[in-house]
Amino acid sequence: MELLVCVKQVPDDSVTVVLENNAPKLDGITPVVNAFDTYALEMAARFKEEHGGEVTVLTVGGEETVPSLRSCLAVGANHAARLDETAACDSLGMAHLLAKAAGKAGKFDVIFCGVESTDGAYGIVGAQLAETLGLPLVTNVLGLEPVEGGVSVKQETEEGYRIVETPCPCVVTTVKPGYEPRYPSIKSKMAARKMPIAGLTAADVGAEASAYGPDAAKVRQTALSAPPKRQSGVKIQEKEAAVAVSRAIKMLAGQKLV
Amino acid sequence: MNYQTLTPELLQELSGIAPKRVFTGSDINEDYSHDEMPIYGKAVPEAVVEVSTTEEVAAVLKFCNEHHIPVTPRGAGTGLVGGAVPIHGGILLVTTRMNKILAYDEENFTVTVQPGVLLNTLAEDAASKGLLYPPDPGEKFATLGGNVSTNAGGMRAVKYGCTRDYVKAMTVVLPTGEIVKLGSSVSKTSSGYSLLHLMIGSEGTLGVITELTLKLIPQPKETISLIIPYPDMESCIGTVPAFFKNHLNPQALEFMGKEIVISSEAYVGKQVFPRKLDGVEAEAYLLVTFDGNSADELDTVIEKASEVVLEAGAIDVLVADTPALKRDAWAARSSFLEAIMADTKLLDECDVVVPVTQIAPFLVYVKSLEEDVGLTVKSFGHAGDGNLHIYCCSNDLEEEEFLKRAEKFMEALYNKATELGGQVSGEHGIGHGKVPFLAESVGKVNMALMENIKKVFDPNLILNPGKVCYKL
Repeated sequence: MELLVCVKQVPDDSVTVVLENNAPKLDGITPVVNAFDTYALEMAARFKEEHGGEVTVLTVGGEETVPSLRSCLAVGANHAARLDETAACDSLGMAHLLAKAAGKAGKFDVIFCGVESTDGAYGIVGAQLAETLGLPLVTNVLGLEPVEGGVSVKQETEEGYRIVETPCPCVVTTVKPGYEPRYPSIKSKMAARKMPIAGLTAADVGAEASAYGPDAAKVRQTALSAPPKRQSGVKIQEKEAAVAVSRAIKMLAGQKLV
Repeated sequence: MNYQTLTPELLQELSGIAPKRVFTGSDINEDYSHDEMPIYGKAVPEAVVEVSTTEEVAAVLKFCNEHHIPVTPRGAGTGLVGGAVPIHGGILLVTTRMNKILAYDEENFTVTVQPGVLLNTLAEDAASKGLLYPPDPGEKFATLGGNVSTNAGGMRAVKYGCTRDYVKAMTVVLPTGEIVKLGSSVSKTSSGYSLLHLMIGSEGTLGVITELTLKLIPQPKETISLIIPYPDMESCIGTVPAFFKNHLNPQALEFMGKEIVISSEAYVGKQVFPRKLDGVEAEAYLLVTFDGNSADELDTVIEKASEVVLEAGAIDVLVADTPALKRDAWAARSSFLEAIMADTKLLDECDVVVPVTQIAPFLVYVKSLEEDVGLTVKSFGHAGDGNLHIYCCSNDLEEEEFLKRAEKFMEALYNKATELGGQVSGEHGIGHGKVPFLAESVGKVNMALMENIKKVFDPNLILNPGKVCYKL
């Protein structure tokens, strides 16, 4: 099967971002591949290794996203493509660009997206991509297996998971599976340095100017604010351990936490 | 030694020095009776004093010296040799309230701190200014005063040296209550005996540190880590000298056996180190970090390092080149001690340092003792500087039997380390747990010199008695 993984470069999510002049201050924060996209890539790479096929990674962004694509090539992607477009888009605009770029980059049986990005965290690009392409969508995917004419998908639910089937081509959005993304080996990392990255432009892929960019955005960000500071905790100062524990349990029960 | 116990009158006087910060009886937290290696015994002090200023420390020590009351200084209590355990009772002098970062001198790359600042706090604060405090002991929640008192080492010692190399100056209260300033912010000195360096690593036996000026360096722009699996421990350790012969200069170079990796990964709940690659089982690993000024520079370095280790028998080389991969790779390493403690009822530890070329023979010897002594042995350590952490553990023996076997095991290890040109402790110190082994290792003359130095500083032997160089 031919697999496409859409990836986004985001600031390292382990760093606390502060606001400066109503904008996130990102100086000095290492750009990385969105964590959910790394899970998607690992899932696609495992699928490829078990069932054959190739994995292509696709991103939309400027030259600065190339190292992220190279890091994907080092951990299981066979090909990489970058749509060189930096216009600010809402998620629907991004879905339009991805849909057009995917059409240009090849024919794919399964298109993987991380369930959300760790920066914007709107969590709807995958669904909008499926809608734009007119493809079936399975969200919150933990794994998948090939079946006749499509894939059988393990979908995470509130209680556990369920297995659903969908014909291909399809779009899946991935959550964290029960394994970690692999580390690149020195050989794969060095090889990735020399691999070509297909360069695409909005014009190449036939993106419609009216469908993306700040003027086309249907969702506009009007303000950003830092989360309120957490209230200081309650100090339990009982001398007897048993009394202190009992008070703590009561408080947790009161908050419906136990 | 005849020490005086704290009478109600003396206690009242003491309470006047540190109002509302003197604790006795059931108000003393149980944590204050031990450090992180309880096998060396627990001891509850007669009183705990949580000091907050240099002057208070001076007043407490003057008071104790006059009344012959033993005083044990304590930071966060993360030591591993009983150094902060008040084995002769008296007063436990706790410095954790003195936890302020006082000032940075960003032009001279120094920072002045109180002794109770935690290593982690300084590391994060310095990083936010683009600066690095290079000493990097595994225990990030130790106090800096404690780090200086044991000359703590850590992962980055192979490139940047130990805590000693980053102490420029300090304020110290002597056991008599006198306040002295040692060292200065200058870059070099040839001005008499270095009392500063005598104080570093003296484990709170010569004075109580109340302020420190520490050296910082500019934060390296880039780091990259390698996980290098090997089919056996011998080829793993055998690679270490090759790094230096090939002009590779790692920031950290750690070795670890398969068993400890498995238990630590189970403890942190994430598997990172590969168990099998290309059909070959990994039995040991090196975890290496390089730092530099650009990603391109580091790519060249890791390419060269990979050639060297693959030539020396490594199964493969995995690259941690993103913040998440680096964090996960080091998370398992940072949790070794906690993982061992979580898995083990009884344990003892040895922290020897041997010449880098002798690590392999030493570990072969350690392995050969395991069956004979009847204890589970787990090893890891700083391969780059020869500092090894060997743990003997038991979950089923009675404590008395365990202690007997552990003593036999430790004696054999220390003798072997000495024979190979090593030293008793690389970074944890001597405390009271390792005094006999130090005496055996350095000999009578050296021990007598240390004991006499101790008496010059502390004629009444009130400060941290029974630690480092003598037993009472």
